[in-house]
Amino acid sequence: MRQSSGLRALGIAGALAILLTACSTTGAPTGGGAPTGPTATDPGKSFVFASTQFSPVTEQEAMRKKILANWNGASVEFITDQEPVIIDRITVESKAGGTGQIGIVGLENGQFGSLVAANYLNDVAKVTTRNADKKINSDMLTLGKFGGSTQLYVPWMQATYFLAANKKALQYLPTGADVNALTYDQLIAWAKNIYDKTGQKRFGWPVGTNGLIHRLLQGYWYPSFTGGLVTSYKSADAVAMWGKIKELWQYSNPQSTTYAFMQEPLQSEEVWVAIDHAARLINVLKAKPDDFIAAPAPAGPKGRYYMSVVIGLGIPKTTPNQSGAENLIDYLLKPETQITTLRENSFFPVTDVQMPADLDKGLKLEADAVAKQAGSKDAKVVPLPVGLGAKGGDFNTAILNTFQRIVVKGEDIQTVLNEQAAIINKVMTDANAKCWGPDGTSTGPCQVK
Amino acid sequence: MNARTVDRTLIYGSAILLALWVIVPFYLIFLSAFSRPNDVFVYPKPLIPTSFSTETMEFFLQSTGVFASVLNSIAVAAITIVLSLALGAPAGYALARFTFRGRQGFQLIVLATKMFPVAILSIPLAVAFLRLGLYDNIVGVALVHTSMALPFVILVTAGVFAGVSNELEEAAMTLGCSRFTAFLRVALPLALPGLAAAAIFTFVISWNEVFAASILTLRQRTLPALVLFALQQSPLYFKFAGGFFMVMPAVVFIFFMRRYLLNLWGGR
Repeated sequence: MRQSSGLRALGIAGALAILLTACSTTGAPTGGGAPTGPTATDPGKSFVFASTQFSPVTEQEAMRKKILANWNGASVEFITDQEPVIIDRITVESKAGGTGQIGIVGLENGQFGSLVAANYLNDVAKVTTRNADKKINSDMLTLGKFGGSTQLYVPWMQATYFLAANKKALQYLPTGADVNALTYDQLIAWAKNIYDKTGQKRFGWPVGTNGLIHRLLQGYWYPSFTGGLVTSYKSADAVAMWGKIKELWQYSNPQSTTYAFMQEPLQSEEVWVAIDHAARLINVLKAKPDDFIAAPAPAGPKGRYYMSVVIGLGIPKTTPNQSGAENLIDYLLKPETQITTLRENSFFPVTDVQMPADLDKGLKLEADAVAKQAGSKDAKVVPLPVGLGAKGGDFNTAILNTFQRIVVKGEDIQTVLNEQAAIINKVMTDANAKCWGPDGTSTGPCQVK
Repeated sequence: MNARTVDRTLIYGSAILLALWVIVPFYLIFLSAFSRPNDVFVYPKPLIPTSFSTETMEFFLQSTGVFASVLNSIAVAAITIVLSLALGAPAGYALARFTFRGRQGFQLIVLATKMFPVAILSIPLAVAFLRLGLYDNIVGVALVHTSMALPFVILVTAGVFAGVSNELEEAAMTLGCSRFTAFLRVALPLALPGLAAAAIFTFVISWNEVFAASILTLRQRTLPALVLFALQQSPLYFKFAGGFFMVMPAVVFIFFMRRYLLNLWGGR
């Protein structure tokens, strides 16, 4: 529909096709059988590996200099940027036609949405088939099909959120509470106890710019209290939940509105207890493994819900080096690369690998907490929002605004929920997003009941 | 204490206060940028350096692409300044000197280019640049920055040239100058401080611009496009190191342009 300059585009495409075939006859033999190891032949054109992950300076450098250290295929340039920028770039390269510079993308499951909808990605089933021996998590493989039959990304790594606490806080745990099996009520009692005994508000929330509070609400509080997210957004259970959040807010550090990565206030001890993304807690656990504990997220009346973040690798149709990108996926799925990824950047393997015994103390804390969380009797897993595409940001904003209005500004709970529910309904309709996770399934767009 | 001493104390007092207003944040950033990573978390912060370390700064500077992106940023800013002054100064001169039909309208149109947010234009622009071979190229970024800076440059230079007396140019022309040489030898030197101000403006616009730079480049990135998002997500000590590093070139540039500005304000 957008192809207005038809003839000209055809001409350019034709010229490019001729150029490409001319190049490939002189270049590496492409396609063919699956290479199992480094070959002596030319690895093909260099390409860009664009990702929304590993954006902190240290993680970028670890990716380039350690995780990719043993890669001996085509030259790869790893760059990171925000989701809209990367999506825009792939869109631009796809619209311009021919081959682009981006050879492979590494995105969160939910970030693939608009690329999938626009049909910008190649089928990567060949890669998952030839890596079958690595036992990639099958639920994640299914996620990578987006409800269809084509494999649009290969799972690369995973992460989750959990609770981290300074050991100084443990003495204030309410009686009878097990830190590894907390409930939200006990968490509130804990924060209150700390406040009563020390006069300090030591619970922290990542409510600042770049904080992930919306994920904590989407994957933890809401499902644990209401058994859903969108459908139960303004239910009686939701009203009760917001009451609990307000209660906890009274004993939370008011600086929470500036926190983005909870490892920072935890390290400066402004905060003793917090829940956040694994990659946003790891620095403090690595720096002071003997002063901190890591534990599963608390449970609510409907169970101990936690969010699983899956990051996948996709190949754009405009990739300059298809076989090079496929080989790179093989490399990133190797057990040793998956372990290096865990050691350097604290993202967990998606394949069946043996955890090394000499893991860093902080990582060990994290790995144990993740295992305990997934292994809890009442544990239930939730994915990141699915199918929202470009509207994902609006959905997060609607939830963040609910929090700001009810908790920070103290507006009436039911009024705010009614108003924000209308916004969420519109986002769902605009994105035509069906229900996911704890909301079950729906035929039309998921709507607040 | 007589009235004069009170006056002087007030003037110097407020000057010192203003200077502190600017210098203290720089100082705090500097302090944290050159502390050991874990000392950044110490609270309350000591105001005198307790541990000097270049560890954070070194890691930041040695991380992939930082050095190249600084060169890119400088090149983009330089091209932008040259282009926008070359295009903007004559336009400003024309607005100041000549009354032509549509002058008012022209002034409005110049400003109207600021009405369109780059975000809306980004994808079509990038597609066009890709087809023209300007994508991922510092010249392409400089062109976009020029179009962003032009309205300011035109309006600033129009004001500057309006302040240069027309009689001086006419006198030069009676003494044998052509219109062009009169501009070159009389109007231009007198307008230099104003042009310097426009150049500073342009430099700051280009140096700070992130959005167009990050959409239009992939490998040839400018410093803010490369590090701004990364720094938001990085540990506190890198934020200070990066912030310090991004502020410094602008400070140095303005420091050198300063004497032209002081001319403008009648300083010596």
